[in-house]
Amino acid sequence: MIQLTNIRKKFGDNEVHKGINLEVHPNETVVIIGKSGGGKSVMLKMIIGLIKPDSGSIVVDDKEVTTMTYKQLQRLRFKFGFLFQGAALFDSMTVGENIELALRRHSDYKDGDIRERVQYALNLVNLENVESVMPSSLSGGMKKRVGLARAIALTPKYMLYDEPTTGLDVETADGINLLINELKKTLGVTSIVVTHDIHSAFVIGDRFAIFENGKFILTGTKEDIRNSPDDNVQKYIESEIQT
Amino acid sequence: MTDKEQPKTLYFTHFFSLLGKGTVYFFEDLGKYFSIIWWMLVNSRNAKEYSRNIFQQMVTIGNNSIPIVLFVSTFVGMVTAVQSSYQLYDWIPRTVVGALVTKSVLLELTPLLTALVLAGKVGATITAELGTMRVTEQIDALEALAFDPISFLITPRVIAGILMFPILVVFGDLLAILGGMFGASAIAGISNDAFIEGMKNSFETWDAVFGIIKAVFFGYIITSVACYQGFKVQGGSEGVGKATMNTVVITSLAVVVMDFILASVLL
Ligand SMILES: Nc1ncnc2c1ncn2[C@@H]1O[C@H](COP(=O)(O)OP(=O)(O)O)[C@@H](O)[C@H]1O
Ligand SMILES: [Mg+2]
Repeated sequence: MIQLTNIRKKFGDNEVHKGINLEVHPNETVVIIGKSGGGKSVMLKMIIGLIKPDSGSIVVDDKEVTTMTYKQLQRLRFKFGFLFQGAALFDSMTVGENIELALRRHSDYKDGDIRERVQYALNLVNLENVESVMPSSLSGGMKKRVGLARAIALTPKYMLYDEPTTGLDVETADGINLLINELKKTLGVTSIVVTHDIHSAFVIGDRFAIFENGKFILTGTKEDIRNSPDDNVQKYIESEIQT
Repeated sequence: MTDKEQPKTLYFTHFFSLLGKGTVYFFEDLGKYFSIIWWMLVNSRNAKEYSRNIFQQMVTIGNNSIPIVLFVSTFVGMVTAVQSSYQLYDWIPRTVVGALVTKSVLLELTPLLTALVLAGKVGATITAELGTMRVTEQIDALEALAFDPISFLITPRVIAGILMFPILVVFGDLLAILGGMFGASAIAGISNDAFIEGMKNSFETWDAVFGIIKAVFFGYIITSVACYQGFKVQGGSEGVGKATMNTVVITSLAVVVMDFILASVLL
């Protein structure tokens, strides 16, 4: 379980989080919806301790993240797979090396096992024969898939997706959404997805949290969102109808 | 108070508030730089695990810089020979040119000019590379995969710099002296024998060693500052460009200041 309580964060004069509360239960997918530049990526990074909140508490599996030592943070991060917005593949390494990197360093796998594991991860994201390709020659959708494969290589318990479908065409985006749903089934992961694409959100999410001006203005199911009288919530629904 | 005076005092306070902010910012920056260096030292054990990275960086920093260092050194040697023979009175023996070239090349010219050239080449490359990794979240990705990005990215580059700069300077020294010899004979009509005699008479091992010690410091300062600048990049590719320029400026200044300090302390 992941639990954020009263999180506040300022960058200089820019107050991005003004008291955030969120609970993510085992095996559910919570989708955070909000404008870009609002602080959603920062929120995901806080959960694995890449950025520290100014105040508030983040609890993962009954352990407080904000006070963890470096060693404890390292251990925490094993539990997480993180898909970054632009996939963040290491561009000096091949696709295979990208996926292997953490396996080589953090597991006792032998060379053969590692190769098998890379294959397995690539299979899960429906890619083949790309191990020796450099990331720069991949399309946006393929980069995201490789980023996914890298994130799941160490069998995480939690997945954090930062705008997994942003910048992709509808078809490719649907492919990624399917994958996210499949990973949830096959790996049993608990996920937080950040997006401003309400259509994708409804395809993958169990619960939704609308992030506006540094706070969650609504947390609930699809029905709660559809029935909300709040204009700030409705504008997302309208954007769904348009697409 | 008249209307005319008011803006003046305003500009004045504005100036001091800027100065104050600048000072605070400078020390904050310096503190962050040293905290990274400190982390690097405390976790230096980890460097062993990243030996492949160190080797890679030695190739990038060392091998790829050899042509430009040799080119610059050769010309520096030639110019020094030509200029010193031009500056000498007729009654001074020509062997002095060999001595002058050797001394100035070993002590000052090769280490300093190598460092200034590499501040541009190596420093800018490192900052652009790490800065790009920062803005594309590759550094965050490393951390998310439970890697220590400082040990993984910074330590290998700094170690490679400390190891490779002295080697580059040794090659540069040799080429500069050869260039000097060539310049002396081709332009100033000084025989190679006379040049070599002057060189032998004046050669002191300490001069060469001093140059190499300087190279170690220059290698350290250029790579560490470049890494730091790359790590703290914000704001997309524009930020990367700015940071890269900052690296070239800061490392060039740091090199000449350090050059002076080392000369004062060690000579
Ligand atoms: N490391 C940082 N230092 C300073 N400001 C930051 C940092 N990371 C993010 N910000 C600022 O925080 C705000 C929220 O950023 P982000 O979480 O990336 O938004 P988004 O909701 O689009 O993911 C932005 O204004 C951004 O400039
Ligand atoms: Mg974002």
